Amino acid sequence: MRNTLLLFVALTSVTMAVAQDHGGHQPTRSGTLPTMPSDLPRWISSPGADHLFYKAAPYNWAIERIPPFAQDMYGTGVGHAMAYEALVTGRKAQLETKVFETIDRVLQKPPRIPVDEAALSPTFVRKYGYLEKVFDWAHILHFQTIDVLTHPGWSDAQKEAEIERLWSFYSAQPYAITGLPMNMEYLDSFPFSGRFRSNYPKVNGLFWGYHWLQTVNYDMLFRVPVQDQAAQYSVLGSQYRTTELYRMRDFMPMTAEMSPRFSKRFPMIANAFDNLHMLHDNVNDILAAEELTEKQRQEQVKIAIYRVLSSTHKGHEPGSGEDVPGSLHDHRHPTSTPGMGFMKGMEDDVMYMSGMGWMDMSVCAHCSIPLPDGPMWGATVTADGWTMLVRCLMCARDMAAETPGRAIIRAATEDPSRILVLISDEEGILTSNIPGVVFLEEFGEHPECSAWSRAFTSKSAFDQFVRENPDLAQSKPLSLDAWAQINRGTPDTYRKIDRPNPYRPEPTTGGSR
Amino acid sequence: MRLISVIATGLLASVVLAVDHNNVDSGRPLRFDDAYSIAYRERAFETGFTLDTFRRSSPKYGLKTEYKYGFAKNQDIGIGFEPSYSTSNRRGDFGNVELSYFNGLRREIDDQPALAYRLDVGLPTGTGSKGVEVRARGILTKTVGQYDKIHLNLDVMTSTARIMDERQTTAGITVGYTKPLGYPTQFDRTLVAQFSMEQSRDRSRDWVGSVGLGIRQQVGVRSVLDFGIESDVFETKGRAKSSVRFAIGYSVGF
Repeated sequence: MRNTLLLFVALTSVTMAVAQDHGGHQPTRSGTLPTMPSDLPRWISSPGADHLFYKAAPYNWAIERIPPFAQDMYGTGVGHAMAYEALVTGRKAQLETKVFETIDRVLQKPPRIPVDEAALSPTFVRKYGYLEKVFDWAHILHFQTIDVLTHPGWSDAQKEAEIERLWSFYSAQPYAITGLPMNMEYLDSFPFSGRFRSNYPKVNGLFWGYHWLQTVNYDMLFRVPVQDQAAQYSVLGSQYRTTELYRMRDFMPMTAEMSPRFSKRFPMIANAFDNLHMLHDNVNDILAAEELTEKQRQEQVKIAIYRVLSSTHKGHEPGSGEDVPGSLHDHRHPTSTPGMGFMKGMEDDVMYMSGMGWMDMSVCAHCSIPLPDGPMWGATVTADGWTMLVRCLMCARDMAAETPGRAIIRAATEDPSRILVLISDEEGILTSNIPGVVFLEEFGEHPECSAWSRAFTSKSAFDQFVRENPDLAQSKPLSLDAWAQINRGTPDTYRKIDRPNPYRPEPTTGGSR
Repeated sequence: MRLISVIATGLLASVVLAVDHNNVDSGRPLRFDDAYSIAYRERAFETGFTLDTFRRSSPKYGLKTEYKYGFAKNQDIGIGFEPSYSTSNRRGDFGNVELSYFNGLRREIDDQPALAYRLDVGLPTGTGSKGVEVRARGILTKTVGQYDKIHLNLDVMTSTARIMDERQTTAGITVGYTKPLGYPTQFDRTLVAQFSMEQSRDRSRDWVGSVGLGIRQQVGVRSVLDFGIESDVFETKGRAKSSVRFAIGYSVGF
């Protein structure tokens, strides 16, 4: 009997391993299903609907100040709800055809008001109502943080203080997802992991496409004056609808990849969003796993919730977990990026980014020189779906110029309350949110580029900076047009990291950079 | 009709956001509830204009206003006012003040329906009102088909006042039906319908049957406009009382 049992277990494991190999690009998977923890929170068994209202505040629904953005965000409520409903009502065969077309139609022509996800997926919610509580509560955090950032009339300091309060408000509920970084490779290592994206790549592309939108928007808004936010969405919204929804990625977009500045300031929120999105992926995979019984699905969804709940990780600290790598309490993060858990193949700050290849997040994406510490953050470049931190405006300009399509450059000026936002058109012509912007570019040693390549809100601010820095006494202020004409190409200091794509073991170019 | 337009326009212009077209509360626009409370910490303001027409008397106008607060998970309390104006005697009436408590006991789980109850206490503040009126309502909500829902409401109403020729305790049953319109591409409108039987307080009459039809239209991120029409269709003894009742309302959560 014992031998028969062992043989059965072995065969089951082999079958699962074979099933996992279906997609061809699966990471190493555990062959056994996770087991139910003994300390599953009691609320998961609560029969109540337990609807929670968002924090009452003057900024609620300020997202509507940017109507196309608001509507695209409202549309994101539709995708998972429709797919989940299809998965639990025996319509898996229609997912890549009819369901995809329906979701795509809604995302391309989004609703003008938020959508009640539970109303769209009544069968799913009857089966997995406890999961809906986790999703709803996290989605409220998503929307309220955006509302704060789009709210006019508050200073950046007021907004950041309110986001801290929102985090506390969110964390006080038992449905809250942990703000600790979690090991993404671990969270994607179960027998069913990757099943959904392998079997339903088009629908999964839509999901990851709007996860891109849900994460890229934070740097569009963070410390950017409200009057300068909408113009950026003309670039990002177009990118979202034409490209990101249909992009085939290796892994879900991470918040710190898409909004590095926001993630540095609010790592716990960036981590919570990534953990939320990974919970979505886990649930997709569980529902798509044909070999699981209904009871096993219920159990695995509960376990997936348990893994990311704040209550599960009480007492643990960000950065801890070196002694338990690749496990539930691996809370390590890249040194430079506390708002991201460890990714597959990651070595400290070096990670593989879909579309970019291997990148070292502690260095400038353009010149490979370490990024400056502290609040002086240089600039970011958003183009072709990615957002990268760079040391200086020169790197930002030249990196944007070498990337096809429109780009957004966000850069610090001498005034901490005024971020420079440069938006390029298809020809690379830049427009600025600061009409009298003046540039300093006194080309010198690259490691000091953040000192001699800067932007100022006015000529007088430029003059004052030059007076305070005698080395730059001969520098002339450059207008936007003059500055934009310069292109110094890829710096000699740039070092490409050439390694294979960890998500696709076969030979590859390793990304665009 | 002009009055309706004026009231509706005024409300739309004055209140800011909340509530959902899928969640149904009695009076908005028909008389049934679904088995879900408003959210914990949500405040909701629901108001609506009603017009009752009668076959043999002049119409009566009402303005029902209710404020609710989700004071705990699955539970809300409310206070409502329903002043009215009768054209037959050209007199206004402040109406009774109504206090309500709603408790959502469970959501729909698998094939089991959602269950809730609500208690309403009517204080005798209206002209000629006597005694305290209490209504207990049991509520069951169940999905039928893909998105449609039925809502069964069972009512028992009683009054502390003993009045000649009036029943002290009466009963009622309402079957409500909701159907989202426009799925899977539009998500802002719900059709509501009901069939109701209610025992008359008047001992000379018996059970009155009525039907109703309405729409709940989301007009803002958390605000809903509703419109409904009800009519008594039969009575087991005596004549139908109200010919047609119109209701138009606005709800906002904040």
